[in-house]
Amino acid sequence: MTQSVAETSAARLAGTAETGEAVHAVAPVSLVGTLPVLGPTTARRVFRHPAVTSALSFACFILAWWAVAVWTASPIQLPSPPAVASALIDLAQDGELFDNVSVSFVRLLISMAAAALLALPLGFSMGLSERVNSYVDPLLEMLRPISGIAWIPLGLFIFGIGGTLPVFIMAYVAFFPMLLNTVAGVRGSDRKLVAAARTMGVSPLRIVRLVVLPGALPTIIVGVRIAFAGAWAAIIAAELIGSPSGLGFAIEWYRELLMSPNVFAYIIVVSAVGYTCDLLLQLLRRRLTPWASGAELA
Amino acid sequence: MEAPGTTDPKLRLKGVAKAFTAPRTLKRTLAVTGVDLAVEAGEFICIVGPSGCGKSTVMNMIAGLDMPSSGTIEINGVPVAGPGADRGVMFQDYALFPWLTVEENIGFGLRNGTPGNGLSRGEVEARVREHVELVQLAGSETKYPHQLSGGMRQRVALARLLANGPDVLLMDEPLGALDAQTRLILQTELLRIWGETAPQAARKTAVFITHDIEEAVFLADRVVVMSRHPGRVRAVIPVDLARPRDEHIRATPRFGQLSEEIWGLIRAEAYEAIA
Ligand SMILES: Nc1ncnc2c1ncn2[C@@H]1O[C@H](COP(=O)(O)OP(=O)(O)O)[C@@H](O)[C@H]1O
Ligand SMILES: [Mg+2]
Repeated sequence: MTQSVAETSAARLAGTAETGEAVHAVAPVSLVGTLPVLGPTTARRVFRHPAVTSALSFACFILAWWAVAVWTASPIQLPSPPAVASALIDLAQDGELFDNVSVSFVRLLISMAAAALLALPLGFSMGLSERVNSYVDPLLEMLRPISGIAWIPLGLFIFGIGGTLPVFIMAYVAFFPMLLNTVAGVRGSDRKLVAAARTMGVSPLRIVRLVVLPGALPTIIVGVRIAFAGAWAAIIAAELIGSPSGLGFAIEWYRELLMSPNVFAYIIVVSAVGYTCDLLLQLLRRRLTPWASGAELA
Repeated sequence: MEAPGTTDPKLRLKGVAKAFTAPRTLKRTLAVTGVDLAVEAGEFICIVGPSGCGKSTVMNMIAGLDMPSSGTIEINGVPVAGPGADRGVMFQDYALFPWLTVEENIGFGLRNGTPGNGLSRGEVEARVREHVELVQLAGSETKYPHQLSGGMRQRVALARLLANGPDVLLMDEPLGALDAQTRLILQTELLRIWGETAPQAARKTAVFITHDIEEAVFLADRVVVMSRHPGRVRAVIPVDLARPRDEHIRATPRFGQLSEEIWGLIRAEAYEAIA
């Protein structure tokens, strides 16, 4: 009985968390990627600057939100922007916000590390050996369509309430994009470069480390970015039910207390942290692979 | 059996054939067949022929990157079993490591492969330095390949090839991507680096693939002319032009005659290839 309630609420809440995050995960990337196209006049040029267009679109969103909040006049369903802002400030001053962000962020880092530890060696073996690939690939294709969220009910039985379940769910979600991109990167590494290294008497192990790895790195980093976004979307769902701490827990906590401004404040923080992580990963990509395409634009 | 290295040529191909099997249809196509060739130490050989006649296939087999379907390839009388740093390769698109700087590309083999065996760290660094200067790239050491012009990339590839100290230089259309003027300059430079002014004993052995007949005549001691369907050696033309050679040699009647003769051998197939 309890279990079925947990399952339904998990599915419902997971859906919200996932769609909410997906919007944030995609939009900022395209904004950063947009190049200013120079118009004929200065005014036009200003209005095409990415920083200006982002600010404008953000302002429009806040205004629309405010208008709808005033119109519905239902602070629990939709609190107004000032109410959310002041809730955000209170939570930040209280230190509670920072505590929950750091709990969730540390879980994210642990799960990413665990996923990488599994996905990178396996990805290299699969990319380098058709034999390994032919054994592992069918299993993966079977597991891949199962959303990380689907494991939450089972995870509750195995891990109980606590920090392990969100970490497990996130590691599961992060594992697939990391693995698939590693395989693709290794497969796509330039055969000519491998051949060149062979003609210089470089050992196979060193060729993997010095030629295949850097060749695959840009693709692997893309996988890590996708993994981060997916894991961050999944953590909220996992913490909503399976954890006594973290951002997802806080959202659920304030929902039960009917404190919508706090719920919204936490949702904004989820978006901000996800966006910042993605920006940092893009920075890291430019740092690690300055030769890869797109580096010239940086 | 004679002892290796006494009477054997530097490089010998005996009845070399290579067939490729298409992955899905499993249809075998003969890329090259019946290739016989002996190259003496210090000789500069150019291979010309229409596109698709198997020039790269032959070079890859000499490099040990690919094995002949039949026949043997010997270096100093010893059959080639795989790639080795005694045979350095310069690929058509240079195959520079995009994530390494000019200096790191040139030092790659010395630092990570067999060419650096038995050398101290200082000796390796000195040799890298020497080759950076040899191809006049001092000042560009810390640049990445994507920041270089085509001519500079070609120099990096040449320096990397030479820094590894191979006995045999294998070059697959190394100047193919360059503009005409740069090509002419680099051809002369290549001869200088190969050791044109040195006695034959001090020269490297070079196998140079090109589709440019005049380039072949300018560079080579002998020009190997290949033909297609399947790829085979059509003729071997000795180039009796004195060394060291400079630009003026292109204006001599003998240069014109040799170019004409080679063109005559591949004209029909060249037209066929574009038809
Ligand atoms: N790896 C390969 N697999 C199948 N066919 C190949 C392969 N490499 C070359 N060939 C075929 O062998 C022939 C000779 O190719 P190649 O040696 O590249 O010619 P060239 O360098 O003279 O232009 C071509 O018909 C080509 O299609
Ligand atoms: Mg070729």
